[in-house]
Amino acid sequence: MAILVKKVQLSWWDRLYFPAVLKGMWVTFGHFIRQLLTPTSKRFTIQYPEMKKEMPEGYRGLHELKQFEDGSIKCVACFMCQEACPARCITIEAEEFSDLNFTQGYEEKRPKIFKIDMLRCIYCGMCEEACPKDAIWLRKDYELAAYDRLSLNYGKWDLMNTYAVTDGKPVQSEDNELPPSPPRNFVTM
Amino acid sequence: MILGILSLAPELSWMLIKVLVCIGFLMLLAPPLTWVERRGSAMIQDRIGPNRAALFGKIKILGLAHVLADGLKFFFKEDLIPKDANRALFWIAPALAFIPALLGFAVIPVGRSFELEGTTYHLSLIDPNNGMGLLYPLAIGGLAVYGVLVAAWSSNNKWSILGGMRASAQMVSYELGLGLSVIALFVTVGGYDPHQVILDQVQHGWYLWRQPLGFLVFFVCQFAETNRLPFDFAEGESEIVAGFHTEFGSMKFGLMGLAEYVHIIVASALIVTLYLGGWSIPFSRDGDSWPVLATVASFLAKLLFLCWVFVWVRWTLPRFRYDQLMHIGWKIMFPLSLINLVVNAWWLTR
Repeated sequence: MAILVKKVQLSWWDRLYFPAVLKGMWVTFGHFIRQLLTPTSKRFTIQYPEMKKEMPEGYRGLHELKQFEDGSIKCVACFMCQEACPARCITIEAEEFSDLNFTQGYEEKRPKIFKIDMLRCIYCGMCEEACPKDAIWLRKDYELAAYDRLSLNYGKWDLMNTYAVTDGKPVQSEDNELPPSPPRNFVTM
Repeated sequence: MILGILSLAPELSWMLIKVLVCIGFLMLLAPPLTWVERRGSAMIQDRIGPNRAALFGKIKILGLAHVLADGLKFFFKEDLIPKDANRALFWIAPALAFIPALLGFAVIPVGRSFELEGTTYHLSLIDPNNGMGLLYPLAIGGLAVYGVLVAAWSSNNKWSILGGMRASAQMVSYELGLGLSVIALFVTVGGYDPHQVILDQVQHGWYLWRQPLGFLVFFVCQFAETNRLPFDFAEGESEIVAGFHTEFGSMKFGLMGLAEYVHIIVASALIVTLYLGGWSIPFSRDGDSWPVLATVASFLAKLLFLCWVFVWVRWTLPRFRYDQLMHIGWKIMFPLSLINLVVNAWWLTR
């Protein structure tokens, strides 16, 4: 069965064309005036380097390796994230952690090397899902650019400090000394 | 000092001043018009528009630095001529587009004529009663076709020639409606001298109100003559790249672009003179007591507003199809202008 396409018949008013043109010009004029009177900060355009978009909740951006309040790493080098990673961009080497302190929760393992190749990473967030210690977060920074490939290979200290400036926290490095541990007392209760 | 020079050799020096001021004005107004076009279109489309270029890396002045940057870029770009282009015509084409656009302004009076020490000074390049009057800009406007067509032909490029052919067909078709609607006006005035036309409007009111139909036809046809949207058949980037100036680069392209904007200014000046009362000041009939500068300001205000309307319309209406264009030109604008002429002629002989 053939489908009858109904042809649009313009009314004589529409066929005059000029009222429609004037209407259209009124619309564009309205937009012009509205845009002209809107201060730059309230326009639709986000002028990028000066203005930045607030990323939505759940946005998966640059990783951060979380740390305890005293600055020691939360990661226990369990390799869960490395296994979960579909892009295989995480490289971990574990080490024994002799200088146990209180906040570590008496874990004896920590990453010696924790590398993420940001060029390989697909920001899927599987590592965050897999982590039993909540030690790796994908947060809202998306400004990843570098002049060479090597500098996008983030190491353990890079990953711990990715949000140090944003959060106003001290930048951690290998040389930072941890505060003296409180006396250990294994026999409790 | 100007008055001193004037008293020495009034005619020559006054002519020199007028030429310099007029050409300087057209050349200086065209680049800011590109800025108005870009920023205005941005505002109309809820964008921000070019605002990044900065003088010395600091002074941005609302993106006006882009105008300078554009000009500078045009000067320093490589001047490329396609291998199979007709070199001579390719060189002439930008001038052919630019000069007729510039010439049309010559008879337009920008202000009231005034007397100084027994000499009458007219604020138009060519004095009144020269015998060609407002027929001159219309004739020169007809020459603009050659700029487009020669540019298209010399490029030896299919897109260019398509654009050029379309544009020339369009300009020739719309010249008809343009001429006929103006004839109705000339018949009513009883002459075609711009000063006469303006004085008539000072006494009896603007032709915009007295011949609205003529104004409408003239206005639409001016859009076609200047090759602006919704009649930009010379270009049409969605189908034939950049049309007639596809092959043009560097300052040649710059000159073509400048020609378009000068054309807009001259077309606006024509419309102002013919239908908006020229330099006359609205709501006032006392033509002889107006200060000269006030009349110039009045003319400029009308001119700039019309230039803005050209930009405004461009960013409001989409382009016509070619058959629609021909339909409008021959079956609507031409009969309308004829009706306008006949009705006005009847009104006069009544």
